[in-house]
Amino acid sequence: MPAIIEVDHLSKNFGQLRALDDVSFSVAEGEVFGFLGPNGAGKTTTIRILLGLLRADRGSARIGGHDCWDDHSGAARLFGGTLEQPGLYGYLSGRDNLLQFARILGPIDEKQIGDLIALVGMTERADDKVRRYSMGMRQRVALAQALLGRPRLLVLDEPTNGLDPNGIHGLRILLRRLATDQGLTIFLSSHLLSEVEELCDRVVVLHRGQVRAAGPISQLMNAKGFRYQIDVSDVDRALAIVRSVDGASAEPGTIKDSITVVSENDLARTISRALVTAGVEVDQLVRTQRGLEDIYIELTGVPSASPLSAPTAAVTVP
Amino acid sequence: MLTVLVRNELEKTWRSRWMVFAVLAGLFFLIAVGLYSYYVYHDHRWSPPPPVAWQNQLRSDIANNESSLDNLQTVKQQVGTRGRVLINGRGLADAETRFRQAIAGDQYLLDNNIAPLSAFSVTRAALFALGGIIMFLLVRIFGWLASEQIAGERSDRTIAILLSRPPSRDQILVAKAIASFLTSLAVVVASFLVTYAVVAFLMGAAGPIAGQVGIPIDGSHPLNPSNLVIMPISVFVLMCIGGAMLAVLCVQGMSLLVSVLTGRWAAIGITLGVLFGASLLSSVIAGIISLITGSADSAHFLNYIFFNVLAPVGSIAPVFGNGASEAGKGMQEFGSEIATLAVWTAAFFVAAWFFFRHKEEAG
Repeated sequence: MPAIIEVDHLSKNFGQLRALDDVSFSVAEGEVFGFLGPNGAGKTTTIRILLGLLRADRGSARIGGHDCWDDHSGAARLFGGTLEQPGLYGYLSGRDNLLQFARILGPIDEKQIGDLIALVGMTERADDKVRRYSMGMRQRVALAQALLGRPRLLVLDEPTNGLDPNGIHGLRILLRRLATDQGLTIFLSSHLLSEVEELCDRVVVLHRGQVRAAGPISQLMNAKGFRYQIDVSDVDRALAIVRSVDGASAEPGTIKDSITVVSENDLARTISRALVTAGVEVDQLVRTQRGLEDIYIELTGVPSASPLSAPTAAVTVP
Repeated sequence: MLTVLVRNELEKTWRSRWMVFAVLAGLFFLIAVGLYSYYVYHDHRWSPPPPVAWQNQLRSDIANNESSLDNLQTVKQQVGTRGRVLINGRGLADAETRFRQAIAGDQYLLDNNIAPLSAFSVTRAALFALGGIIMFLLVRIFGWLASEQIAGERSDRTIAILLSRPPSRDQILVAKAIASFLTSLAVVVASFLVTYAVVAFLMGAAGPIAGQVGIPIDGSHPLNPSNLVIMPISVFVLMCIGGAMLAVLCVQGMSLLVSVLTGRWAAIGITLGVLFGASLLSSVIAGIISLITGSADSAHFLNYIFFNVLAPVGSIAPVFGNGASEAGKGMQEFGSEIATLAVWTAAFFVAAWFFFRHKEEAG
C-alpha cells in the first residue's frame, strides 16, 4: 500500500525548546496508526504540522504527496481532523457547525450531514447550541466534522477526551467500522493505550521529540522477551532474590503480595527454584503477555520523583 | 469558494453579534424619538414644519451674517485699540473677514442659482449620518467587530479547524475582510436612510434627490467659478458614502492586522485603545515636539497618521462647507484625506495578509 502520510526528518523548535527532533515515519493507506507519547512528547506539534497549522523548521511532512504547509490546500482535501480541544462555534448548533464546513468542502447535502450526526449519536441534540454541549458531545460533533466530505485520512488527536465509557466503546466500534468497511486511514493519537492496542496496526512512540519505537504492535510486544507475575509470601525478599538472577529485573506488582519480573530469556524455572530455595513461598507464577502499556512505560517512563512519570516507583502519600 | 466563505463569515457575524445590531437599531430609534420630542416641545407642533426654499434660507443666512457683522463693528468701536476681543477663538479682524466671505459666498450662490450643501434633506443627512457622532461610534463598533474576526476564532480554538480545511489563508482573510465590509456597509446605509428620514421630517420635505449642489474646492477662499465644484446630488451622496466606507475600511484593516497577531481580548483592547486614545496621545506628543523645537509645524507629520485623519469628525465625509465656520475645508481637504487614508488602508491590509500567511497556530 502506498504511504498517505510521509514524515521525513521533521524538526521543530519553539524558541529554545526542541519540540521535534528528526522525526520520521510513514503511514500506509488503509492503516490504523497509533501515535503515542507522554505529555510534551511532541504529538500535538506533529499533528499541527500535518494539519498545516505549524511549519517545520527542518524536514518535511506530506499527505498524499502534498506538502502540508506549502501545498496545504492539496493535502487538506484528503483528510479530516480533530484536535484535543474540539474547535466548534459555540453560538451555532452542532448541525450549523457542520453546515459551515460542508459548504467549504463542496456539495454536501443535508441528508449526508444528518447521516453523520446519526453516526456519532447526536441526532437528539444536533439543533442545540454547541455552548450547551458537554465535552463528550463536542468531541462527537468534531468527529462528524472531520468525516465531512468522505476524507481518505482521519487525523484524530485525543478523540476520547471527555467521552464516557460508553462513548469510548462507541468510538472504538465506529473507528473500526470506518477502517474495515470504508478503508479509511486513521492516524490516532491517544493516551488510552488499550484503545490503541485494540485498534491500531502499527504505532510510533514519541518521547521528548524523538521516535523511541515504531512498528507493528505485535512485533513491539514480542521484541522484548518475557514477563511474569509471581504471587509470593514476602515481596521484599522475593525482589532481592529475583534481582540477583542474571538477566531478570523485578518490580513490585500491581496486585498485593506480588512482583512483576521482566527478562530477555525464559527464566521461569530458574526464578521459581531460586525463590523456593531461599524459603519464599510461591503461590502462583503466571507468564503474562507484555502489553502496550508495559512497552510504553519502558520507553517513556524515566525515573523521577513523581509516580506519574515513573509509575513503577513506590508511592507514599504525604 | 470565496462566495461560500463570505457567506459563512456573514452567518457567523450575524449569529454571534446580532445583539450589537439590535442595540444599534434601538439606539437609532431612541435618538429619533428624542429628536421628535424635542421638536414637538420646541416648535409646539406635531407635524413637520412648512418647507423653506433654499434661496430663502440663504437670504436668511446673509441677513444673519450681516447682523453679526454690524454687531462686530459696534464691538470694534467700543474696544477701540485698547484691548483684544476673541470671537469663537478668533480675533475681530479675522472674524470680520470670515463673515464677509460667508456673505459673499452665499450671495454668489444666490446670484448663480447654485444650491449649497445644506439646501436639501438628503445632502444634510449625508453630512450628518456619514460624519460626526454617528460615524464616530460606528467606526469604533466596526473596529471592535473586525478585531474579533481572527483573534476571536483563535481564542475559541476554531481557527485551527478552519485553517486545516482546503481554503487557503489568503481566501480566508479576504472573505473575512469582505464580510466585515459588507456588514458595515449595510449598517452605514441603514444609518443614512434613518437620518435622511429624520432630517426630511425636520426640514418639512424629503427634497429633491436629482439636481445639483455646489462644493467649494478650498473653503478658506471666496467662492468663484475656479473655486467651486458643481455635482449631482446623487454623486455627492455616493462620494460621502465612499469616504465614510474608506474610513471604515481603514479601521477594519488596522483591526484585522491586530487580530492576526493576538488573542481576542488583546485585539479588542488594542483596537479600542488606538481608536479612542491614540489621537489624544498624539496631541500630547505634538505638544512636546512643539515645545522642544519651538515650532508648531515640526509636529505636522502627525496629522498624516490615520487616527488623526479620522479623529476630529469620526469620518472624513463632513469636510465640506462654505460657511464662516467651515473655512479651510472643502474638496481639496477631502481629496487629501482620501489619499492619506487609502495609503494607510492598503498598508494595513498588506501587513495583515503578510502576517496571516506566515502565522503559526501553536494552540
